[in-house]
Amino acid sequence: MRPTWQTSCVVDTEPLLRLTGLTKRYPGVTALDDLTVEVPRGLIGLVGANGAGKTTTFRLLLGLAHPTEGQIEVCGIDVAADPIGVRSRLGFMPEHDCLPLDQTAADVVSTFGELSGLPARAARQRASDILDLVGLDEARFRPIGGFSTGMRQRTKLAQALVGDPELVLLDEPTAGLDPLGREEMLALVARLGTFGISVLMATHLLDDVQQVCDHVVMIDAGRLVVSGTTDSLLERTGFVTVDVGAGGADLTAALASQSIHATWADGLVEVTIDSEVDLDVLRDVVAELRLPMYRLTSRLTSLDDVFLRRASAGAGAGTSGAAG
Amino acid sequence: MSFAATGDEGARGAVYDRGYRPYDGPRGRRGAATLALYKASIRRGLGLRRAWRQKVAPFVLLAVVTIPAIVNVGIGYVTRDQAFDRIEIITYRNYVGVSSALLLFVALVAPDVICPDRRQRVLPLMFARPLIGRDYVTAKVGAIVSILFMFSFLPQVVLFVGNMLVSTNGAFDYLTENVDVLWKVPVAVLVLSLQYAVVGVAVSSLTDRRIVAGASIIGMFLVTSIAAGVIVGEDIDRSGGSLAALINVLALPLYLRDVVFLGQVDPEGSLNGTSGGGWLALAAYLVVLAAGMVVLLRRYRWVER
Repeated sequence: MRPTWQTSCVVDTEPLLRLTGLTKRYPGVTALDDLTVEVPRGLIGLVGANGAGKTTTFRLLLGLAHPTEGQIEVCGIDVAADPIGVRSRLGFMPEHDCLPLDQTAADVVSTFGELSGLPARAARQRASDILDLVGLDEARFRPIGGFSTGMRQRTKLAQALVGDPELVLLDEPTAGLDPLGREEMLALVARLGTFGISVLMATHLLDDVQQVCDHVVMIDAGRLVVSGTTDSLLERTGFVTVDVGAGGADLTAALASQSIHATWADGLVEVTIDSEVDLDVLRDVVAELRLPMYRLTSRLTSLDDVFLRRASAGAGAGTSGAAG
Repeated sequence: MSFAATGDEGARGAVYDRGYRPYDGPRGRRGAATLALYKASIRRGLGLRRAWRQKVAPFVLLAVVTIPAIVNVGIGYVTRDQAFDRIEIITYRNYVGVSSALLLFVALVAPDVICPDRRQRVLPLMFARPLIGRDYVTAKVGAIVSILFMFSFLPQVVLFVGNMLVSTNGAFDYLTENVDVLWKVPVAVLVLSLQYAVVGVAVSSLTDRRIVAGASIIGMFLVTSIAAGVIVGEDIDRSGGSLAALINVLALPLYLRDVVFLGQVDPEGSLNGTSGGGWLALAAYLVVLAAGMVVLLRRYRWVER
């Protein structure tokens, strides 16, 4: 159960974020251009190419920069009116290195807990708990300077969580991690949702978002491309993928004799499905050949496909899909 | 949730995933964050919770600045039954002016407390908390002032208590005879600490390299000191002092110290003979403080935009 001071976002109908006509111009550059979007609670991916405006959005959310035009509400609080109140509800994990290297992880996380307003004793206790949560319990009394990239990323995540935020802003949390470290970090991020903590994860890695987030906001050149639930953006493509073990070649040939196009690659058979009847034929052919059916899945568009298609269709075209 | 490890019945163990517990206790805002940063900065300045190497400089300095007090008290103890007057190698007023040691300390500690925040890019993390630029400046300057005050005041306490204990007239008599010291010393030490801290932190805020900041602090103090010395001249007793002495940033708090202890600027000092020297010293001191604070507030203003 979330603490009582966090009542403003407990109402599910209240959007987590509401950006209205948000524009940020720097001399010669428009970082954000009339961005209007509402985002619900949960695990949110903020997706865009480098320079799309993700970090600028974070700075505006934190009140570290003022919008040129427009309004931002976080948990129903106007950032311009009460930036301190907003920051009290946020955790922030920057992309870049940002940790004092000559201090231990326990000291750093505990200090940031106190900076978030926690009493010293509670901050120390929570620092210990959170470092345990992110898998640094054994290393918490070692100086951060001796940490690997993965351990530093975990420490950065820990300092973002120590203040028990309602919303955590993660800027490229998997940057610089090896595949195993990336998977572990994404698993940690996914767990935050089960703790009642909303996540806004900025990244240009669409696979990360597809794996973790239940809502996606795509921006390009400071403009909204599309916003919606991840499932709604992943459309069916008219292909199914079948895993029949070593019998893929036989299945491909048998389907061809039934005028159904199929290809076999990497141990999987990808079948073109034009109608429900084709699925029945596929089932019957597999049965006739006495092949094992390990898996049958609909192939979906990837978020990469969605992003490329929507972005190329025009910057403003996606706004009709703004989240609800 | 737990994942149990299998094993013998007598040696069964389990690894527990404690999950996440929300915090529902009291929570402060700007004041609490400022206090937390103040405490963290003091710890850093003193080398606490850091490697032993980081503790050497502050505590060696504390020992060094305390030695005169211990020697003075020791001499007083050894000679307390002698017929001649007590030998005092240092007075409370002069003890406020152990500024070369403190200057070195400021040049070491202020950059160490300020520069890494910018160099290691910790500032965005700090300002993602309920903290604004003014709070950051307050915490950092406050921490350096506190450390300098402590390092200047503790030796004076040792000196005073020691003198009381070895006084031939008895401790209570010594206390009543020197009761004015009890306010003069803290005031003079605070004046000194405040200026050194503001100047040290302001200079440090202009670079993210500690060595550059330290050298700049020492350089600024020494250059103004030498410049004032050259302009005023050395034969102060004959020709009198000069207002040019006010450009000596190192000496400004010492002029005010003299006003506190003597009620006027030192008759043998560089401001000797200038009318209203005390007020002018106060004005120059405030100008330096104000300039330092303007630099700091502008330097950390971006987080408030």
